[in-house]
Amino acid sequence: MTIFEKMREAAQLNADKPDPALLPTPRQLRRSTIAAVIGAAFIGVGVYLPAEYGIDPTGVGNVLGLTEMGEIKQQLAREAAEDELLHGGGDQSSSLVDDIFGLFVGAAHAQEVWTDTVTFTLAPDAATEVKLVMAEGDVAEYAWVAEGGRINFDLHAHGDGQSVDYDRGRGATDGAGSIEAPFPGEHGWFWRNRDDSDVTVTLQLRGAYSEVVRSE
Amino acid sequence: MSSNSTGLRALASRRVTALLLTALAVYASSVAQALAHDVTPGDAGYIQEIWGVHVISFIYLGAKHMVTGYDHILFLLGVVFFLYRMKDVAIYVSIFAIGHSVTMLAGVWWGWGINAYIIDAIIGLSVVYKALDNLGAYQKWFGVQPNTKAATLIFGLFHGTGLASKIIEYDISDEGLLWNLLAFNVGVEVGQILALFVILIVMGYWRRSSAFMSQAVVANVIMVGLGLWLTVIQINGYLAAA
Repeated sequence: MTIFEKMREAAQLNADKPDPALLPTPRQLRRSTIAAVIGAAFIGVGVYLPAEYGIDPTGVGNVLGLTEMGEIKQQLAREAAEDELLHGGGDQSSSLVDDIFGLFVGAAHAQEVWTDTVTFTLAPDAATEVKLVMAEGDVAEYAWVAEGGRINFDLHAHGDGQSVDYDRGRGATDGAGSIEAPFPGEHGWFWRNRDDSDVTVTLQLRGAYSEVVRSE
Repeated sequence: MSSNSTGLRALASRRVTALLLTALAVYASSVAQALAHDVTPGDAGYIQEIWGVHVISFIYLGAKHMVTGYDHILFLLGVVFFLYRMKDVAIYVSIFAIGHSVTMLAGVWWGWGINAYIIDAIIGLSVVYKALDNLGAYQKWFGVQPNTKAATLIFGLFHGTGLASKIIEYDISDEGLLWNLLAFNVGVEVGQILALFVILIVMGYWRRSSAFMSQAVVANVIMVGLGLWLTVIQINGYLAAA
């Protein structure tokens, strides 16, 4: 008696032995296996490669709109890797800082004069950064509008070994508020156009900061 | 002569078991990155950059989530393990689909996010429950057979809550949410059918072997173990996060 048979006897399975008449024949099974292998190959090449890697040898992924997904994922992966190199990795965002900062983000006060205006146009899938160099405790106010399409943004800061993510948005057309720097460094926006047409953003700024830095 | 052929058969059955375990291990390692509670950063990252209706993209993401969701696949395997008629397979899988669709859609729509570790621990227990059911444990311990269809529905509801918790983490844009969500649900069912197709082929070969019934005991004992393992991992994750 094998160990399996002993276990079988002890266990009293909740089922009877399969009736051979109910089971698929070897021929049916062979056919299904071949169908599964062919299907897997089609899905792998026509769906999986485009949707994960943006590689689309058949053009099917493009028709389905999945190639764009793969391209975005690859782009994000590259950016994450670059970011890791730049900032030494590890998520240093402090949720406490985030919470405290949250108190200071509100509607911009209605005042008349803006000191700086930054205007830029992004083609679809293009991105740029606009950062304010601020000292700890500095407060800057901002208001922006997007024209020609809708824009994605990530308002964040890093410097002094710290980083914080203030606000994110997608498909937005305007925004306003203020930034109070919880630590010295660069505070500002990463902008990316995920829309289908060129988008022009006009960003107006005032308050305490020493410099406006733009980078592609 | 006869003892020789028995020995060969025992060897063959051991090889089948080893092959299955290897396949399972390879599968588990290929989806190991999903073990961490977040949905893969790539999918979430993509979703967080888009807005509006993207039907095919969300069908793909739903199917991917199901096919790489080893906990759902294990439960599905347990449910169909002893279903020899296609009609029964269709009935039980439909019950499971109805269960997880209801809580998945309602959960995301009304934001019933339950702690993902807790819901995944329950999903691990659903695997344990079904494998014990297959082993006839409830009849043996309590002298009763709990309704298997009701159990499939109830655990389906829990699996759907787990899906909802993960979709909420995806942070899908409000714009086009309903259509994208429905597409994701369709994708989950597509993924389930694809997985089922493979499971039924493997089970088809296996059931034809004379050693099926004795190996079935081992397989379901292993499933109890895997379900417990998943549960412990999730409880540990919960305690570590708390």
